[in-house]
Formats: sequence, structure tokens, C-alpha cells
Amino acid sequence: MQNAKDSFYGALRTRLTALNPERTVLLRGALRPGILVEDAEAPFSQLPNDVFVLRWVGLGADVDLGATMVAEECEIVYQTCGTQAFGGLDRGRLLSAMDEEILALLDPFWTQKLNYTVQPAATMLTKVFWDEPVFTPAVTQRDRMGRSVKVMIYSYQEQGE
Amino acid sequence: MTQSWFSAPAPVTRRVRAYFAPVNRATQTPVLFDPAEQGTFSLTAPPSPWIDLGWIQHFSRKSTSKSTPLLTGVPAAPLEQVRTTLEAELSFEFSSWTKLTMALSTGAQHMNVLSAASGGTGAADGAPAVSAVTPQTGSTASSIVLAAGDAAQFAAGSLIACDVDYTGQTGFVGAPVAGAYVRQALSDVDYVRRVTFNVALVSAVNAGVLTLAAPLPAGAPASGAKVQALVGFVDREGGTFYQEWSALFVMECAQGERLIFHYPRLQSAAGASESLSALDTKDKGAQQRVSLKAQFVALPVTDPLDGERVLCYRSFLPAANALI
Repeated sequence: MQNAKDSFYGALRTRLTALNPERTVLLRGALRPGILVEDAEAPFSQLPNDVFVLRWVGLGADVDLGATMVAEECEIVYQTCGTQAFGGLDRGRLLSAMDEEILALLDPFWTQKLNYTVQPAATMLTKVFWDEPVFTPAVTQRDRMGRSVKVMIYSYQEQGE
Repeated sequence: MTQSWFSAPAPVTRRVRAYFAPVNRATQTPVLFDPAEQGTFSLTAPPSPWIDLGWIQHFSRKSTSKSTPLLTGVPAAPLEQVRTTLEAELSFEFSSWTKLTMALSTGAQHMNVLSAASGGTGAADGAPAVSAVTPQTGSTASSIVLAAGDAAQFAAGSLIACDVDYTGQTGFVGAPVAGAYVRQALSDVDYVRRVTFNVALVSAVNAGVLTLAAPLPAGAPASGAKVQALVGFVDREGGTFYQEWSALFVMECAQGERLIFHYPRLQSAAGASESLSALDTKDKGAQQRVSLKAQFVALPVTDPLDGERVLCYRSFLPAANALI
């Protein structure tokens, strides 16, 4: 299951780098693409702005198939305060830009499954694929606007997983 | 030892893409699809002459062929089966309204509503049209060169039909697709352009040249072809003409495998109808999407491989590394 989660994150990170290389985050002293997995970082007291945060929530499995199918629900959370130059008055526009960006990152709706426990990452036999995203209503907290999008990710368990 | 294959469960897909190609009605020649040579084509760039009609919804196909047991003995018991009828139906909905999707989903001929000449008598298929103009030398499938005075009739955003004058011919008319079957000579000189599939959108007009947003399906204007503006389309419930097309439906599945359904001959099996679906099902909003419903009956071809009469070919191209 971890390989599928890693592959999904890796695909979105690669696509984000190509789509909007200026969306970055300074994390643990390193400048990285502006997308991260919440459970792979130190706990946040406040999620960072202008960054996509992947949060793994639901899990299901169908074990009656030739290969066990695993379904994992990913909640992608993002928020923005707008820019200082506009005094935050552009926060709605920046949230729209992130909406469009995440929609573009999710297409195509599949990626090759990779094993990231080895260096370089090894290509596995199957693909990871996902459903259409479901956007939640925007939430405003003081000067911050955000929303999340839920995506169900599917994969087949391979030998050794 | 690392396993180099996986046991693939049933294919999983999100949607179906449709491609159509015209059957040559005069020679009754369908377009055949070769899964060996063409099976892995890019879904956005189908091999010629297939026309991409985009994603479709509610794709459903059903064999209605019947078999009967051949009985023998006392008491009678089945000795073997014989196929008594060979029939298949399919239906789906188009997500877009275009000349081609409308034509395919209507049971009869589909016509262009030509721009009306001033003062003409009204008609349900469109009033008598403004005179057609002749493309000049240098015209191509994507640009039409016109005399300066003629070009003034068109502007960016105009729709055009390009085909020959009707001169009393009977039989199938229209290029590159037969748009109608004329049983007896008619009097409308614009009739072929009323039924032709050779239509396009003008994206710009400069110095007497119409630049088209997409190439004319029939390519550069043929000798004798003329151009006429149109304002829309009209079809009728009734009539005797049936659309007939070769069709291809492709399901690209989650592991890269492909399911391809190839019907060499499909005829529309029902009159024009639409399906309404609410855009906002949660809040029951009033906005509704109008989709074109299409129903077809498959007609047989004789497979040259072994002389068998068949209606459809289903091809499956497995995923890489999948156990078969």
C-alpha cells in the first residue's frame, strides 16, 4: 500500500514541478515543490499556506480478486492568505488558481507504481489509478481561505507487498 | 526470484471514447479497423479515416442473436445448436452537439440550415438560400480563397457548407459522406449542400481568404464545389434514409489494457431523442444538460478470414506484464 501512496505523491510532485515550478515550500531547510505528505513531516501546528498537503484517510480492500485491490482515500488540503502586495485581497483568486492546479495535477488519472524503498526507485508491474476528485466547500478562517479535495486511489498488491 | 508478471483482475475504466468513419453507401464498403496495426493508436489522434467524437456516456451493447437447439431422437434432445438470427443493438449518449453527433443520433437524414436569401418563402427545412459562391484556385481543406465580393458575405464565426450544386442526380449524394438518398430528381440547386457533412467554422477572414477552425472533412474543395453559409442544423422524424457508419468504441483501462469494440456497419435504430440530466443533483437545480441519445442496430459483414457473417469485433489488448 505504501508504494501506491508514494507513487501518487511522486506523480503529483513531478507534475506540479512541470506545471508551476514557482509553487515551492521551504521545509527543513530545503526548498521543495509545494506539495507534501502530512504524515511524513513533523506535526504542524498550522498547515503551511499556498502548499498542497496530502492526508491519507480512508482505506478499503477487495481480497476476492486475482490480485488484491486496495482503495485509499487521500484528502488534499490547501489554503492561502493571498499576497502581501494586495493586502490579502487576492486570496479568492489564489484559491481558484490552486483549484485549477490540483485539477490539472490529477489528470491523467493514473501513474506507474514505483517502489521508493530502493534507490533509484524501481518500476513495478502495475499502475496506480484514481477517481474524479470531489471538492469540498471553501472554508474561511480569519484571513485564510482554504478547501480540500478528496480522491480515491486504487492499486493492486504485487508480490512482496 | 522477483515475479515478472501479475494476475490481472477485470479491467477497470472510467469512460468510453467513440470514433466513426463513413461507410461508402454506393459500394456498401465499411471501414475496417485492424487491432494488430492500429490497436494502440493515440486516443486523440485516431488513424484515418476515423473521426474522433469524444467521450460518450451510458454505453450499452446487447446481442439479440438467437440460437435454437437442433433436436434429435425420442424423446427429442439437443444434438447441437444453430444460430437462427444474427442481431445486435447498442446505445449511448453523446456529450456534445455537433453536425456529426446530431446526424448519428437521428434516425434519418440530417440537414444544414442554409442562410436564407432575403424575401424568400419560409420552409421547415430553411428558406431558399443565399447564392453559393465558388472557391478560387489555391483553396485548401483549411482555407477557402474567394473573390473579394464573395468573401464579404462571411465573417469570423460563420459556418459554411462546401459541396457541389444539385443538378438532378439521384442516389446517394454528399461528399465525403452520403448525406441523403435521392429517389427522384429535385428542384433545389442547393440540396447537396443542405445534406452535406462537409461543413466547417470560419475562424478568420482576411483578404478574401476564409481560414477554417478545422479542416473540411472532404479536404480541399472539389471541382464544381461551392461554398454557402449556414446557420444551424435540422433533422426530421420520419423519412426513408438511414445513416450508416462504421464505429469504434475504445475503453482504455486502468492498467493500460484496451477493450475495443468495432462495428463495421451501424445504422441508426431510432428517431432523434434527447436525455435531460440535472447539472446539480444535490441541490436539484433547474439547469439540465441535454445529451443526444443514440441507438443503433448492427448490420453484418462477411469476414474474409473464414467467410463467416459477423456484426462486431471485440478486441482485448492486455496490460503489459499481465498474465493471460
